[in-house]
Amino acid sequence: MMRFMLSLLIGLVVGVGIGLYAGWVQFPVEYVNSPMTDLSQRFKDEYTVMIAAGYMADGDLMGAVERLRRIGVSNIPAYVQDSAERYITTSRDINDIRALVTLAEGLDRLTPIMEPYRLVNAPGAGQ
Amino acid sequence: MIKRPPPRPTTLPEEMPPPRSRYNRPRRPFSLRAFLVGVALGIGAGLGYAWVLNPVVEYSTEPWQLRQEDRDHYMVAVALAFAGDGNLERAVERILSLYPRGAPAHNPFQDFADAACRLATTGYVDSNSGRRAIRSMMTFYQLQGRTGCADALIPDIAAQPTVVVQIELPTPTLPPPATKTPTPPGAAAASPTPPRIIVPTSVPQRDFVLANVSTFCSEDISGVIEVFVQDFGRVGIPGQAVRVRWDGGQDTFYTGLKPERGPGYADFQMEAGREYIIEMPGRSDPSAQALGAVPCTTETGARAIISYRAVFLPRG
Repeated sequence: MMRFMLSLLIGLVVGVGIGLYAGWVQFPVEYVNSPMTDLSQRFKDEYTVMIAAGYMADGDLMGAVERLRRIGVSNIPAYVQDSAERYITTSRDINDIRALVTLAEGLDRLTPIMEPYRLVNAPGAGQ
Repeated sequence: MIKRPPPRPTTLPEEMPPPRSRYNRPRRPFSLRAFLVGVALGIGAGLGYAWVLNPVVEYSTEPWQLRQEDRDHYMVAVALAFAGDGNLERAVERILSLYPRGAPAHNPFQDFADAACRLATTGYVDSNSGRRAIRSMMTFYQLQGRTGCADALIPDIAAQPTVVVQIELPTPTLPPPATKTPTPPGAAAASPTPPRIIVPTSVPQRDFVLANVSTFCSEDISGVIEVFVQDFGRVGIPGQAVRVRWDGGQDTFYTGLKPERGPGYADFQMEAGREYIIEMPGRSDPSAQALGAVPCTTETGARAIISYRAVFLPRG
């Protein structure tokens, strides 16, 4: 009986290890029906760039702000400024940087690091 | 006398190896059967714990995992970006991120049309911004030969009848060259009744473009549209007419009347709650976005009306 119980215990330990590995690493739970606030940072950045590119095309600042609210950012001007500066300092795609800088300028968040990427010289900006 | 042990018999019946059976097999140190049962139970328990009791916390949600409503808004962003950069390859990459890895996207462009249809049947189209976004989606999927119910719900701008406005243009009459015959008085004056010229709003010749509109919130400058008209060298151009239209009215003003702000500067005071369209009459298209005189809060916490700063630049 002792031999049986010992074998069962060893089997349980090995089985639990396999089960945890499979459940956490190999086949983890994949969530669907997630809100946009749960998007990974990579895709939040992608979404922000898309909205900024759209703003470059149509100049719809209010629409851009409303769309950025969907990713759960509380301070949108600060978020856009941070994204633009992060893209610049990490040497991302120049078109993405220009789009973000244009949106940041529209939100009165133009900073010196963004100056070289401005497309339009808006006089008096930042007054 | 030496005692010898009796010779050992070669075989003894009682020491012959017994026949092998389940009862006299040597015992292994552990039970394989119990081990396998334990493994099976352990896998079940481990999976239950990892999937149900303590699943992995999701930190890297991808677009394909979004709920339907947010997938639709992600598609809006893709369409807007395509309208901005015209990069179809990148737009397709972005659309494919809306489908699980390994699962083929059967008809992504039709899904796009269906998303536009869903949005067109909601309050999303109550704003100009929403309608414009859906039109971007329509343009995108129509280029791929797809159709959707949004085509019928959102009228195409190009299909709308051209609105014709009558603009009375003063036509100054130059004085005629001097002749020997004295001209009767009054002949050199401007024509008393300038001719009426009908100008369709869709005149293709536009030499200025509204290059940028930014907002700011200031207690001192509350609810003002500041307009700058500049040439290629970013030098202000005085004397340029700027027209502001709103629901039920319009006003035209000119740059250069406030030289302390620059020769190309003009401004207009908005009324709270109204929306305004700005243009250079006959020289630029109207602004695509209505400028709304909405309340805002200044950095000091004071309440004011949002102000706009618009820049007109030569096209090209």
